[in-house]
Amino acid sequence: MAKRDRVAAIGVGYSNTGRWLGLSRRELAAQAGVAAMNDCGITADQIDGVVLHAGIAGAEPPGLDRIDAIDVGQMLGIKELNYYNADEMGPAYVHAAISAIAAIQSGMAHTVLTMRVINQRLNTRQLSAEMSKPTYVGGDAQFVMPFGSLNGPNNIGALPAQRHMELYGTTEEQFGAHVIAQRAHAALNDEAILRDPLTMDDYLNSRYVSKPMRLLDCDYPVDSASAIIFTTEERARDFKKKPIFVEAAAHSAVEVLGGGFEKIADMNHNSPYHAAKTLWSRTDLKPSDVDCAQLYDGFTIIVFQWLEALGFCGEGESGPFVASGATALGGSLPVNTDGGACNVGRRHGANFCIESVRQLRGNESGARQVKDAKAAVWANAVGPFSGAFLMTAD
Amino acid sequence: MTVASINIPESATASDYPPIPDVDKLTEFFWEGAANHQLLILHCHACDTYIHYPRPICPNCLSMNDLAPVQMSGRGTIYSHTTAVQAFHPYFVDKVPYNLIVVALEEDENIRITSNMVEIANDDIRIGMPVQVTFQEVAPGLSLPLFKLA
Repeated sequence: MAKRDRVAAIGVGYSNTGRWLGLSRRELAAQAGVAAMNDCGITADQIDGVVLHAGIAGAEPPGLDRIDAIDVGQMLGIKELNYYNADEMGPAYVHAAISAIAAIQSGMAHTVLTMRVINQRLNTRQLSAEMSKPTYVGGDAQFVMPFGSLNGPNNIGALPAQRHMELYGTTEEQFGAHVIAQRAHAALNDEAILRDPLTMDDYLNSRYVSKPMRLLDCDYPVDSASAIIFTTEERARDFKKKPIFVEAAAHSAVEVLGGGFEKIADMNHNSPYHAAKTLWSRTDLKPSDVDCAQLYDGFTIIVFQWLEALGFCGEGESGPFVASGATALGGSLPVNTDGGACNVGRRHGANFCIESVRQLRGNESGARQVKDAKAAVWANAVGPFSGAFLMTAD
Repeated sequence: MTVASINIPESATASDYPPIPDVDKLTEFFWEGAANHQLLILHCHACDTYIHYPRPICPNCLSMNDLAPVQMSGRGTIYSHTTAVQAFHPYFVDKVPYNLIVVALEEDENIRITSNMVEIANDDIRIGMPVQVTFQEVAPGLSLPLFKLA
């Protein structure tokens, strides 16, 4: 990325976050938007773009409204939008961030608010009521759901994890080492929801959801909104926080035509490899220059896939790499220093951008601060589509 | 639309049957084939490419007029597997733990079928095992292609 085109993240913020908060999608979006604006001291008339990832994470409870980018802009007093977008498919928050920087670099907009808003699925009782009659499934799901492959833990988590284990000798204890290290980071984060330390016995005694994936390998569903504001380098220095620059960004979609996670030619080497190759081709920095990595952890195996894809370890070597302590605070590459979505709650990637910004500001991560952090990678999603960002502090 | 053979009783509840294919004109052949105990996969006769899930175009040669279902041998190997312990649909509540497998078909290993293994203990399933299709009626007129050890 040419230096003259640099885009910076200047403000970050979260809504209230928790299970079954009873807040509408609009309330969550409004809270996060205001938090990000206050973080950098920006006013609505200084923002001219809004991008959301609008895809719904499950069915919406009755009464909670859908939301789009124009709606958010209007709520936050942004009267003249030069750019807005809200997609329904793709790699969640990374989509919003990449759309924003593309808009800024092209000159379509100069300052863009990005957001991911999630309301949880219906609760179990509501789901059961909704499913009183036989279920019909169309599209590609008709080739999967009749057999009982119904959700992420089965097909995004367990199937690739099992293949990783049988091909490379990866062990459940190695998955556990990541879960334990990540929880230890959460214990240092006031905003994390799950903060009690875990032992290997705790991990190995936790129940399976879809073998070999356990409950503790799954991210933690919450109602949440997360917001990050991007602007041009020229404008970035006018705000109250130190700007954090986008050194490189990469978006990937592979094998979408085949449809579905089960269909990908290689369950463990897919779009993150494509995204990582593109990412490193757009910078002079190397994996060894990265001070911390914030890697999507919808399921533990995804962190392992990103570690390999980004070149932090070799193919099939993520298990020993994690077990060595490299990804814990104090290790060579602290990973998910906020505790990850397993502990701060599911935010579909936005927390990883926010944690990268905070780590690189150098004074916002408290006891979990990575010393002298100057470069951070964050990544989002896996399988047919994903993306990654490399961000740097001056 | 539904395949002509699928006939779910009015009185049925969600726990009686697994999710039922809501077929369209692209996918009807697959379920009609299963009802006749045949594993059919869309094939491009112009360039000899198998296409699954069904699409109206061959991604290899872009033909839209030379696509037709062909019967597969039903042989393949296990690409990956899991044992589902938590049910996410009423039908599966009393089925857990049950296995899920992804089979790479013999004719083209990139053609993958998500299914279940029968006649084997869940813990005995391994990647690379040779398997053979078999059919089981799970709802009136709805047969699923399942697999057993070859």
